[in-house]
Amino acid sequence: MVTLEFHDPSGAIEVKQAHAPRVRALAGKRIGFVSNEQWQAYRMLPLLKTLIETDFPGIEVLPIDAFPQGNAVIGSEETAALVKASGVDAVIIGNAA
Amino acid sequence: MTNAVAGLGLAPDAAMVTFPIEMFLPGSDISPVQTRKREFYDGLTAWRSAFAADGAGEAPMIRVEGASVEDAFARANNLMLANRWGDGLPLWPPTRQRVDWILGGTAQPRRRPLGTFPPRGGVTTIESCAIALAMAGGRPEYLPVLVAAIEAFLDPESGSAQLQAASGSAFPVVIVNGPIGAAIRLNAGFGCLGPDPQRPAGASIGRALRLLQQNLGGALPGIGTMANYGGLRYTNVVFAEDEANLPAGWAPHGTERHGFAAGTSSISLAFANGATNIRRRGAKKETPEEDALQGMYRMADFMRTPNMPGLAGYEHGTPGVLMLPGVVAQTMAGLGWTKASIREFLWEHSRISAEHLRRAGCPAWIEIDASKVVRESIDLDPWPITASPDNFIIVVAGGGHPTNSYWLQGYSPGVVGRAIELPAAFDRLLADAERDLGPR
Repeated sequence: MVTLEFHDPSGAIEVKQAHAPRVRALAGKRIGFVSNEQWQAYRMLPLLKTLIETDFPGIEVLPIDAFPQGNAVIGSEETAALVKASGVDAVIIGNAA
Repeated sequence: MTNAVAGLGLAPDAAMVTFPIEMFLPGSDISPVQTRKREFYDGLTAWRSAFAADGAGEAPMIRVEGASVEDAFARANNLMLANRWGDGLPLWPPTRQRVDWILGGTAQPRRRPLGTFPPRGGVTTIESCAIALAMAGGRPEYLPVLVAAIEAFLDPESGSAQLQAASGSAFPVVIVNGPIGAAIRLNAGFGCLGPDPQRPAGASIGRALRLLQQNLGGALPGIGTMANYGGLRYTNVVFAEDEANLPAGWAPHGTERHGFAAGTSSISLAFANGATNIRRRGAKKETPEEDALQGMYRMADFMRTPNMPGLAGYEHGTPGVLMLPGVVAQTMAGLGWTKASIREFLWEHSRISAEHLRRAGCPAWIEIDASKVVRESIDLDPWPITASPDNFIIVVAGGGHPTNSYWLQGYSPGVVGRAIELPAAFDRLLADAERDLGPR
Protein backbone atom coordinates (compact mmCIF):
# COMPACT_ATOMS: atom_id res chain seq x y z
CA MET A 1 0.00 0.00 0.00
CA VAL A 2 1.32 3.45 -0.94
CA THR A 3 0.34 6.51 1.10
CA LEU A 4 0.45 10.07 -0.25
CA GLU A 5 0.11 12.92 2.19
CA PHE A 6 -0.24 16.42 0.81
CA HIS A 7 -1.28 19.98 1.62
CA ASP A 8 -4.86 21.19 1.25
CA PRO A 9 -4.39 23.95 -1.39
CA SER A 10 -7.45 25.96 -0.42
CA GLY A 11 -5.77 27.74 2.48
CA ALA A 12 -7.46 29.50 5.39
CA ILE A 13 -10.02 32.28 5.50
CA GLU A 14 -10.00 35.05 8.08
CA VAL A 15 -13.31 36.59 9.05
CA LYS A 16 -12.44 40.01 10.44
CA GLN A 17 -15.88 41.53 10.46
CA ALA A 18 -19.28 40.01 11.23
CA HIS A 19 -22.22 40.62 8.94
CA ALA A 20 -24.67 43.23 10.20
CA PRO A 21 -27.22 41.89 12.66
CA ARG A 22 -30.66 41.30 11.21
CA VAL A 23 -33.69 43.27 12.31
CA ARG A 24 -36.13 41.26 14.43
CA ALA A 25 -39.15 42.22 12.34
CA LEU A 26 -39.84 44.56 9.43
CA ALA A 27 -42.93 46.27 10.81
CA GLY A 28 -42.27 49.93 11.59
CA LYS A 29 -38.73 49.85 10.20
CA ARG A 30 -36.97 52.12 7.72
CA ILE A 31 -35.56 50.31 4.67
CA GLY A 32 -33.24 51.62 1.98
CA PHE A 33 -32.14 50.42 -1.46
CA VAL A 34 -28.69 50.74 -2.98
CA SER A 35 -28.81 50.12 -6.70
CA ASN A 36 -26.15 49.71 -9.34
CA GLU A 37 -28.81 50.37 -12.01
CA GLN A 38 -27.74 47.24 -13.82
CA TRP A 39 -29.44 43.96 -14.68
CA GLN A 40 -33.05 45.19 -14.65
CA ALA A 41 -32.66 46.78 -11.22
CA TYR A 42 -34.75 49.66 -12.48
CA ARG A 43 -37.71 47.24 -12.72
CA MET A 44 -37.04 44.71 -9.99
CA LEU A 45 -36.21 46.99 -7.10
CA PRO A 46 -39.33 49.21 -7.46
CA LEU A 47 -41.44 46.02 -7.56
CA LEU A 48 -39.81 44.81 -4.37
CA LYS A 49 -40.36 48.22 -2.75
CA THR A 50 -44.08 48.00 -3.56
CA LEU A 51 -44.32 44.45 -2.20
CA ILE A 52 -42.68 45.40 1.08
CA GLU A 53 -44.89 48.44 1.51
CA THR A 54 -47.98 46.33 0.84
CA ASP A 55 -47.03 43.49 3.17
CA PHE A 56 -45.80 45.64 6.05
CA PRO A 57 -48.14 48.60 6.62
CA GLY A 58 -46.41 51.43 8.41
CA ILE A 59 -42.98 50.50 7.10
CA GLU A 60 -40.94 53.28 5.49
CA VAL A 61 -39.10 52.30 2.31
CA LEU A 62 -36.92 55.06 0.89
CA PRO A 63 -37.05 55.80 -2.86
CA ILE A 64 -34.81 53.63 -5.01
CA ASP A 65 -32.75 56.70 -5.93
CA ALA A 66 -32.38 57.97 -2.36
CA PHE A 67 -28.68 57.10 -2.54
CA PRO A 68 -26.18 57.44 -5.40
CA GLN A 69 -26.68 54.75 -8.01
CA GLY A 70 -24.31 52.89 -10.33
CA ASN A 71 -21.43 50.45 -9.94
CA ALA A 72 -19.00 53.33 -9.91
CA VAL A 73 -20.32 54.84 -6.69
CA ILE A 74 -22.26 52.34 -4.60
CA GLY A 75 -19.15 50.83 -3.05
CA SER A 76 -17.69 54.17 -1.99
CA GLU A 77 -17.19 55.42 1.56
CA GLU A 78 -19.27 58.46 0.64
CA THR A 79 -22.28 56.31 -0.24
CA ALA A 80 -21.81 54.25 2.93
CA ALA A 81 -21.80 57.45 4.98
CA LEU A 82 -25.01 58.63 3.31
CA VAL A 83 -26.68 55.31 4.05
CA LYS A 84 -25.62 55.48 7.70
CA ALA A 85 -26.74 59.08 8.04
CA SER A 86 -30.18 58.24 6.63
CA GLY A 87 -30.98 56.19 9.73
CA VAL A 88 -32.17 53.12 7.82
CA ASP A 89 -32.53 49.88 9.77
CA ALA A 90 -31.65 47.68 6.79
CA VAL A 91 -30.53 47.97 3.20
CA ILE A 92 -31.23 45.86 0.10
CA ILE A 93 -28.48 45.94 -2.55
CA GLY A 94 -29.03 44.97 -6.17
CA ASN A 95 -28.49 43.75 -8.85
CA ALA A 96 -25.69 41.34 -9.68
CA ALA A 97 -25.57 38.80 -12.47
CA MET B 1 -22.36 35.01 -6.43
CA THR B 2 -20.72 32.74 -3.92
CA ASN B 3 -17.90 34.34 -1.92
CA ALA B 4 -18.72 37.77 -3.27
CA VAL B 5 -18.02 39.47 0.05
CA ALA B 6 -15.43 37.23 1.70
CA GLY B 7 -12.42 39.10 0.37
CA LEU B 8 -13.54 42.15 2.30
CA GLY B 9 -13.01 40.32 5.59
CA LEU B 10 -16.62 39.20 5.87
CA ALA B 11 -17.70 35.57 6.00
CA PRO B 12 -17.86 33.92 2.56
CA ASP B 13 -21.64 33.77 2.63
CA ALA B 14 -24.25 36.51 2.56
CA ALA B 15 -28.00 36.95 2.57
CA MET B 16 -28.73 36.66 -1.13
CA VAL B 17 -31.76 35.86 -3.25
CA THR B 18 -30.58 34.38 -6.52
CA PHE B 19 -32.51 33.94 -9.78
CA PRO B 20 -31.71 32.40 -13.18
CA ILE B 21 -29.85 34.76 -15.51
CA GLU B 22 -32.87 35.10 -17.81
CA MET B 23 -34.58 37.32 -15.26
CA PHE B 24 -31.79 39.88 -15.55
CA LEU B 25 -32.18 40.37 -19.30
CA PRO B 26 -34.12 43.18 -21.02
CA GLY B 27 -37.85 42.46 -21.27
CA SER B 28 -37.70 39.59 -18.77
CA ASP B 29 -40.50 38.25 -16.61
CA ILE B 30 -39.74 39.59 -13.13
CA SER B 31 -42.76 38.04 -11.40
CA PRO B 32 -40.46 35.64 -9.45
CA VAL B 33 -39.56 38.66 -7.31
CA GLN B 34 -43.16 38.53 -6.07
CA THR B 35 -43.46 34.76 -5.73
CA ARG B 36 -40.20 34.59 -3.75
CA LYS B 37 -40.63 37.80 -1.76
CA ARG B 38 -40.41 35.89 1.55
CA GLU B 39 -36.77 35.12 0.80
CA PHE B 40 -36.05 38.84 0.72
CA TYR B 41 -37.88 39.35 3.99
CA ASP B 42 -36.01 36.42 5.59
CA GLY B 43 -32.73 37.88 4.39
CA LEU B 44 -33.48 41.06 6.31
CA THR B 45 -34.73 39.33 9.46
CA ALA B 46 -33.86 35.66 9.94
CA TRP B 47 -30.67 34.96 7.94
CA ARG B 48 -27.52 33.96 9.86
CA SER B 49 -24.00 33.37 8.57
CA ALA B 50 -22.88 29.76 8.70
CA PHE B 51 -19.33 30.83 9.49
CA ALA B 52 -17.87 31.41 12.93
CA ALA B 53 -16.43 34.83 13.64
CA ASP B 54 -12.85 33.69 13.22
CA GLY B 55 -13.47 31.85 9.95
CA ALA B 56 -12.02 28.59 8.79
CA GLY B 57 -8.77 27.49 10.36
CA GLU B 58 -5.77 26.07 8.61
CA ALA B 59 -6.63 22.84 6.82
CA PRO B 60 -4.96 19.59 7.90
CA MET B 61 -2.76 17.52 5.60
CA ILE B 62 -4.68 15.17 3.31
CA ARG B 63 -3.89 11.45 3.02
CA VAL B 64 -4.73 9.08 0.20
CA GLU B 65 -3.77 5.43 -0.10
CA GLY B 66 -3.39 3.34 -3.20
CA ALA B 67 -2.35 -0.16 -4.16
CA SER B 68 0.58 1.29 -6.12
CA VAL B 69 2.25 4.63 -6.78
CA GLU B 70 0.12 5.03 -9.88
CA ASP B 71 -3.05 4.19 -7.98
CA ALA B 72 -2.23 6.63 -5.17
CA PHE B 73 -1.40 9.34 -7.72
CA ALA B 74 -4.69 8.76 -9.51
CA ARG B 75 -6.63 8.85 -6.25
CA ALA B 76 -4.93 12.08 -5.23
CA ASN B 77 -5.83 13.66 -8.57
CA ASN B 78 -9.41 12.45 -8.34
CA LEU B 79 -9.69 13.87 -4.84
CA MET B 80 -8.34 17.25 -5.94
CA LEU B 81 -10.83 17.43 -8.79
CA ALA B 82 -13.70 16.35 -6.51
CA ASN B 83 -12.74 19.18 -4.14
CA ARG B 84 -12.62 21.61 -7.10
CA TRP B 85 -8.91 22.28 -6.68
CA GLY B 86 -7.81 21.20 -10.14
CA ASP B 87 -7.91 22.43 -13.72
CA GLY B 88 -8.58 19.10 -15.44
CA LEU B 89 -4.93 18.41 -16.28
CA PRO B 90 -2.82 16.09 -14.11
CA LEU B 91 -1.62 17.71 -10.91
CA TRP B 92 1.44 16.94 -8.86
CA PRO B 93 0.15 16.29 -5.31
CA PRO B 94 1.73 19.00 -3.12
CA THR B 95 3.44 16.70 -0.66
CA ARG B 96 5.39 18.14 2.23
CA GLN B 97 8.65 17.06 0.59
CA ARG B 98 7.83 18.69 -2.74
CA VAL B 99 6.55 21.92 -1.21
CA ASP B 100 9.65 22.16 1.01
CA TRP B 101 11.79 21.67 -2.09
CA ILE B 102 9.95 24.49 -3.89
CA LEU B 103 10.40 26.72 -0.84
CA GLY B 104 14.14 26.54 -1.48
CA GLY B 105 13.41 29.24 -4.08
CA THR B 106 12.98 31.92 -1.45
CA ALA B 107 14.65 33.16 1.71
CA GLN B 108 11.35 34.48 3.00
CA PRO B 109 9.47 32.77 5.86
CA ARG B 110 6.93 30.27 4.56
CA ARG B 111 4.16 31.85 6.67
CA ARG B 112 4.81 35.38 5.42
CA PRO B 113 1.39 36.77 4.44
CA LEU B 114 1.02 38.26 0.98
CA GLY B 115 -2.63 39.26 1.35
CA THR B 116 -6.05 37.76 0.85
CA PHE B 117 -7.08 36.47 -2.53
CA PRO B 118 -10.29 37.99 -3.90
CA PRO B 119 -13.16 37.30 -4.05
CA ARG B 120 -13.12 34.31 -1.64
CA GLY B 121 -10.55 35.85 0.65
CA GLY B 122 -8.15 32.94 1.02
CA VAL B 123 -5.15 33.89 3.16
CA THR B 124 -2.19 33.92 0.78
CA THR B 125 1.33 33.16 2.00
CA ILE B 126 4.69 32.21 0.56
CA GLU B 127 3.72 28.61 1.34
CA SER B 128 0.44 28.99 -0.61
CA CYS B 129 2.53 29.94 -3.64
CA ALA B 130 4.82 26.96 -3.15
CA ILE B 131 1.85 24.60 -2.87
CA ALA B 132 0.34 25.91 -6.11
CA LEU B 133 3.71 25.77 -7.88
CA ALA B 134 4.21 22.17 -6.72
CA MET B 135 0.78 21.24 -8.08
CA ALA B 136 1.59 22.96 -11.37
CA GLY B 137 4.79 20.97 -11.89
CA GLY B 138 7.05 23.87 -11.03
CA ARG B 139 10.55 24.16 -9.69
CA PRO B 140 12.10 26.22 -6.87
CA GLU B 141 13.81 28.68 -9.19
CA TYR B 142 10.37 29.70 -10.51
CA LEU B 143 9.12 30.70 -7.06
CA PRO B 144 10.60 34.24 -6.96
CA VAL B 145 8.71 35.14 -10.16
CA LEU B 146 5.46 33.68 -8.86
CA VAL B 147 5.75 35.49 -5.52
CA ALA B 148 6.39 38.82 -7.27
CA ALA B 149 3.44 38.18 -9.60
CA ILE B 150 1.16 37.39 -6.67
CA GLU B 151 2.26 40.54 -4.85
CA ALA B 152 1.36 42.54 -7.94
CA PHE B 153 -1.89 40.64 -8.45
CA LEU B 154 -3.02 41.34 -4.88
CA ASP B 155 -2.13 45.03 -5.13
CA PRO B 156 -5.50 46.85 -5.30
CA GLU B 157 -4.11 48.94 -8.14
CA SER B 158 -4.18 45.85 -10.38
CA GLY B 159 -7.99 45.69 -10.27
CA SER B 160 -7.88 41.96 -9.62
CA ALA B 161 -10.71 42.13 -7.08
CA GLN B 162 -13.10 43.05 -9.88
CA LEU B 163 -11.53 41.01 -12.64
CA GLN B 164 -11.47 37.76 -10.67
CA ALA B 165 -15.26 37.66 -10.66
CA ALA B 166 -16.18 39.61 -13.80
CA SER B 167 -17.76 38.10 -16.91
CA GLY B 168 -15.20 39.61 -19.28
CA SER B 169 -12.74 36.70 -19.10
CA ALA B 170 -9.69 38.71 -18.10
CA PHE B 171 -6.46 36.79 -17.69
CA PRO B 172 -3.24 38.03 -16.10
CA VAL B 173 -0.27 38.83 -18.32
CA VAL B 174 3.09 38.65 -16.53
CA ILE B 175 6.00 40.27 -18.38
CA VAL B 176 9.41 39.41 -16.95
CA ASN B 177 12.46 41.63 -17.39
CA GLY B 178 16.05 41.20 -16.35
CA PRO B 179 18.44 38.25 -16.28
CA ILE B 180 16.09 35.92 -14.38
CA GLY B 181 14.10 35.22 -17.53
CA ALA B 182 16.83 33.37 -19.39
CA ALA B 183 18.21 31.94 -16.13
CA ILE B 184 15.03 30.01 -15.30
CA ARG B 185 14.25 29.07 -18.93
CA LEU B 186 11.40 31.48 -19.49
CA ASN B 187 10.54 31.85 -23.13
CA ALA B 188 11.01 35.19 -24.92
CA GLY B 189 11.20 33.88 -28.47
CA PHE B 190 9.42 31.40 -30.75
CA GLY B 191 6.16 30.21 -29.21
CA CYS B 192 6.64 32.27 -26.07
CA LEU B 193 2.93 32.20 -25.22
CA GLY B 194 2.58 28.45 -25.63
CA PRO B 195 4.03 25.15 -24.45
CA ASP B 196 7.78 24.64 -24.86
CA PRO B 197 9.70 21.79 -23.21
CA GLN B 198 12.93 23.72 -23.77
CA ARG B 199 11.65 26.70 -21.81
CA PRO B 200 8.92 25.37 -19.53
CA ALA B 201 8.93 27.98 -16.76
CA GLY B 202 6.09 30.18 -18.06
CA ALA B 203 3.59 27.33 -18.19
CA SER B 204 4.21 26.26 -14.60
CA ILE B 205 4.29 29.79 -13.17
CA GLY B 206 1.15 30.81 -15.02
CA ARG B 207 -0.65 27.60 -14.11
CA ALA B 208 0.27 28.08 -10.45
CA LEU B 209 -1.09 31.62 -10.62
CA ARG B 210 -4.32 30.28 -12.07
CA LEU B 211 -4.58 27.60 -9.35
CA LEU B 212 -4.18 30.30 -6.70
CA GLN B 213 -6.86 32.40 -8.41
CA GLN B 214 -9.17 29.41 -8.18
CA ASN B 215 -8.25 27.64 -4.95
CA LEU B 216 -7.60 30.64 -2.71
CA GLY B 217 -9.55 33.21 -4.70
CA GLY B 218 -12.58 31.04 -5.34
CA ALA B 219 -12.67 31.88 -9.06
CA LEU B 220 -14.52 28.73 -10.05
CA PRO B 221 -16.34 28.98 -13.38
CA GLY B 222 -19.98 29.91 -12.90
CA ILE B 223 -19.57 30.11 -9.11
CA GLY B 224 -16.83 32.53 -8.18
CA THR B 225 -16.12 33.88 -11.66
CA MET B 226 -18.75 34.70 -14.24
CA ALA B 227 -16.20 34.71 -17.08
CA ASN B 228 -18.20 33.71 -20.15
CA TYR B 229 -15.25 32.04 -21.90
CA GLY B 230 -12.20 31.99 -19.67
CA GLY B 231 -9.71 31.88 -22.53
CA LEU B 232 -5.97 31.46 -21.89
CA ARG B 233 -6.67 30.55 -18.28
CA TYR B 234 -4.92 27.17 -18.12
CA THR B 235 -1.55 28.86 -17.90
CA ASN B 236 -2.38 32.58 -18.14
CA VAL B 237 0.39 34.48 -19.98
CA VAL B 238 3.92 34.53 -18.55
CA PHE B 239 6.87 35.40 -20.79
CA ALA B 240 10.13 37.34 -20.78
CA GLU B 241 10.95 40.38 -22.87
CA ASP B 242 13.58 39.50 -25.47
CA GLU B 243 16.11 41.94 -24.08
CA ALA B 244 18.95 40.41 -26.10
CA ASN B 245 17.23 41.72 -29.21
CA LEU B 246 16.14 45.12 -27.89
CA PRO B 247 17.42 47.74 -30.34
CA ALA B 248 19.96 50.21 -29.02
CA GLY B 249 18.14 53.01 -27.25
CA TRP B 250 14.97 50.99 -26.62
CA ALA B 251 14.49 50.55 -22.86
CA PRO B 252 13.18 47.32 -21.36
CA HIS B 253 9.48 47.38 -20.44
CA GLY B 254 10.19 47.21 -16.69
CA THR B 255 12.36 50.30 -16.97
CA GLU B 256 9.95 52.27 -19.15
CA ARG B 257 6.76 51.53 -17.25
CA HIS B 258 7.95 51.03 -13.70
CA GLY B 259 11.31 52.73 -13.48
CA PHE B 260 13.37 49.66 -12.60
CA ALA B 261 17.03 50.03 -13.45
CA ALA B 262 18.04 48.16 -16.61
CA GLY B 263 19.28 44.73 -15.59
CA THR B 264 16.87 44.47 -12.67
CA SER B 265 14.88 41.26 -12.55
CA SER B 266 11.27 42.34 -12.31
CA ILE B 267 7.74 41.50 -13.29
CA SER B 268 4.99 43.65 -14.70
CA LEU B 269 1.40 42.48 -14.36
CA ALA B 270 -1.48 43.59 -16.54
CA PHE B 271 -4.76 41.94 -17.54
CA ALA B 272 -5.98 41.12 -21.03
CA ASN B 273 -9.18 39.69 -22.44
CA GLY B 274 -8.11 38.88 -25.98
CA ALA B 275 -5.18 37.60 -27.99
CA THR B 276 -4.76 38.32 -31.68
CA ASN B 277 -2.06 37.46 -34.17
CA ILE B 278 -1.45 40.27 -36.68
CA ARG B 279 0.22 39.55 -40.02
CA ARG B 280 2.13 42.78 -40.22
CA ARG B 281 4.62 42.04 -43.00
CA GLY B 282 4.11 43.15 -46.60
CA ALA B 283 3.58 40.63 -49.40
CA LYS B 284 5.26 42.11 -52.49
CA LYS B 285 7.99 44.66 -53.26
CA GLU B 286 7.57 47.09 -50.39
CA THR B 287 10.50 49.19 -49.36
CA PRO B 288 11.56 48.79 -45.72
CA GLU B 289 9.84 52.10 -44.95
CA GLU B 290 6.58 50.98 -46.61
CA ASP B 291 6.72 47.60 -44.93
CA ALA B 292 7.10 49.18 -41.49
CA LEU B 293 4.44 51.85 -42.04
CA GLN B 294 1.86 49.49 -43.54
CA GLY B 295 2.44 47.12 -40.65
CA MET B 296 1.88 49.94 -38.18
CA TYR B 297 -1.41 50.90 -39.84
CA ARG B 298 -2.52 47.27 -39.82
CA MET B 299 -1.75 46.95 -36.11
CA ALA B 300 -3.64 50.16 -35.34
CA ASP B 301 -6.59 48.83 -37.33
CA PHE B 302 -6.71 45.76 -35.05
CA MET B 303 -6.74 48.05 -32.03
CA ARG B 304 -9.57 50.27 -33.28
CA THR B 305 -12.27 48.29 -31.51
CA PRO B 306 -15.04 49.24 -29.04
CA ASN B 307 -13.48 47.27 -26.17
CA MET B 308 -15.75 48.55 -23.42
CA PRO B 309 -14.14 46.42 -20.65
CA GLY B 310 -10.97 48.30 -21.57
CA LEU B 311 -12.50 51.46 -20.11
CA ALA B 312 -11.42 50.08 -16.73
CA GLY B 313 -7.86 50.91 -17.71
CA TYR B 314 -8.53 53.98 -19.83
CA GLU B 315 -6.87 56.42 -17.43
CA HIS B 316 -4.17 54.50 -15.57
CA GLY B 317 -4.05 51.01 -17.08
CA THR B 318 -3.40 49.86 -20.61
CA PRO B 319 -5.39 49.28 -23.80
CA GLY B 320 -3.20 46.24 -24.38
CA VAL B 321 0.20 44.69 -24.85
CA LEU B 322 1.76 44.81 -28.32
CA MET B 323 4.48 42.18 -28.85
CA LEU B 324 6.99 42.84 -31.61
CA PRO B 325 9.58 40.24 -32.63
CA GLY B 326 13.17 41.34 -32.14
CA VAL B 327 13.89 41.29 -35.86
CA VAL B 328 11.00 43.68 -36.50
CA ALA B 329 12.05 45.95 -33.65
CA GLN B 330 15.60 46.08 -35.04
CA THR B 331 14.37 46.97 -38.51
CA MET B 332 12.00 49.64 -37.25
CA ALA B 333 14.64 51.11 -34.98
CA GLY B 334 16.91 51.33 -38.01
CA LEU B 335 14.23 53.44 -39.69
CA GLY B 336 14.02 55.76 -36.71
CA TRP B 337 11.10 54.27 -34.83
CA THR B 338 11.23 54.15 -31.02
CA LYS B 339 8.86 52.60 -28.52
CA ALA B 340 7.56 56.11 -27.83
CA SER B 341 6.93 56.96 -31.49
CA ILE B 342 5.21 53.62 -32.02
CA ARG B 343 2.89 54.41 -29.10
CA GLU B 344 2.11 57.85 -30.50
CA PHE B 345 1.30 56.37 -33.90
CA LEU B 346 -0.94 53.65 -32.49
CA TRP B 347 -2.77 56.10 -30.23
CA GLU B 348 -3.46 58.46 -33.10
CA HIS B 349 -4.48 55.83 -35.64
CA SER B 350 -6.60 53.58 -33.42
CA ARG B 351 -9.10 56.35 -32.66
CA ILE B 352 -12.77 55.52 -33.30
CA SER B 353 -15.18 57.99 -34.89
CA ALA B 354 -18.04 59.24 -32.74
CA GLU B 355 -20.48 57.92 -35.33
CA HIS B 356 -19.12 54.39 -34.98
CA LEU B 357 -19.20 54.66 -31.20
CA ARG B 358 -22.81 55.80 -31.28
CA ARG B 359 -24.08 53.05 -33.57
CA ALA B 360 -22.48 50.46 -31.27
CA GLY B 361 -24.06 51.92 -28.13
CA CYS B 362 -20.71 52.75 -26.56
CA PRO B 363 -21.57 56.22 -25.20
CA ALA B 364 -23.81 54.63 -22.53
CA TRP B 365 -20.83 52.68 -21.16
CA ILE B 366 -18.57 55.71 -21.32
CA GLU B 367 -21.12 57.93 -19.54
CA ILE B 368 -21.57 55.60 -16.54
CA ASP B 369 -17.87 55.01 -15.97
CA ALA B 370 -16.41 55.82 -12.56
CA SER B 371 -13.55 57.83 -14.08
CA LYS B 372 -14.12 61.51 -14.89
CA VAL B 373 -11.44 61.23 -17.56
CA VAL B 374 -13.41 58.45 -19.25
CA ARG B 375 -16.73 60.30 -19.00
CA GLU B 376 -15.25 63.46 -20.47
CA SER B 377 -13.62 61.52 -23.30
CA ILE B 378 -17.07 61.22 -24.90
CA ASP B 379 -16.52 64.70 -26.32
CA LEU B 380 -13.51 63.59 -28.35
CA ASP B 381 -14.07 62.78 -32.01
CA PRO B 382 -12.42 60.60 -33.09
CA TRP B 383 -12.33 58.94 -29.68
CA PRO B 384 -8.92 57.63 -28.54
CA ILE B 385 -9.07 54.08 -27.14
CA THR B 386 -6.94 55.15 -24.16
CA ALA B 387 -6.30 58.44 -22.39
CA SER B 388 -2.60 58.63 -23.23
CA PRO B 389 -0.16 57.06 -25.71
CA ASP B 390 1.97 56.16 -22.68
CA ASN B 391 -0.63 53.59 -21.66
CA PHE B 392 0.22 51.29 -24.57
CA ILE B 393 2.59 48.50 -23.56
CA ILE B 394 5.18 47.70 -26.24
CA VAL B 395 7.42 44.71 -25.61
CA VAL B 396 9.98 43.01 -27.79
CA ALA B 397 9.16 39.30 -27.71
CA GLY B 398 8.35 36.47 -30.08
CA GLY B 399 10.25 34.36 -32.56
CA GLY B 400 12.93 35.83 -34.79
CA HIS B 401 10.70 36.05 -37.85
CA PRO B 402 9.30 39.26 -39.34
CA THR B 403 5.79 38.25 -40.42
CA ASN B 404 3.68 38.61 -37.29
CA SER B 405 3.12 40.69 -34.23
CA TYR B 406 0.74 39.94 -31.39
CA TRP B 407 -1.87 42.04 -29.59
CA LEU B 408 -3.09 41.18 -26.12
CA GLN B 409 -6.20 43.36 -25.82
CA GLY B 410 -6.32 45.02 -22.42
CA TYR B 411 -8.86 44.76 -19.63
CA SER B 412 -6.49 46.21 -17.11
CA PRO B 413 -7.35 48.91 -14.56
CA GLY B 414 -3.67 49.15 -13.64
CA VAL B 415 -0.26 47.83 -14.60
CA VAL B 416 1.68 46.83 -11.51
CA GLY B 417 5.42 46.18 -11.29
CA ARG B 418 7.46 44.36 -8.68
CA ALA B 419 11.18 43.70 -8.33
CA ILE B 420 12.01 40.01 -8.00
CA GLU B 421 13.79 38.97 -4.82
CA LEU B 422 16.25 36.10 -5.18
CA PRO B 423 17.60 33.85 -2.41
CA ALA B 424 21.34 33.74 -1.76
CA ALA B 425 21.49 30.16 -3.03
CA PHE B 426 19.86 30.94 -6.37
CA ASP B 427 22.89 29.89 -8.41
CA ARG B 428 22.73 26.46 -6.79
CA LEU B 429 19.09 26.14 -7.87
CA LEU B 430 20.11 26.97 -11.45
CA ALA B 431 22.84 24.32 -11.25
CA ASP B 432 20.25 21.81 -10.04
CA ALA B 433 18.07 22.70 -13.02
CA GLU B 434 21.05 22.17 -15.32
CA ARG B 435 21.53 18.74 -13.76
CA ASP B 436 17.83 17.82 -13.98
CA LEU B 437 16.85 19.30 -17.34
CA GLY B 438 20.11 19.43 -19.25
CA PRO B 439 21.95 22.49 -20.52
CA ARG B 440 19.99 25.60 -21.41
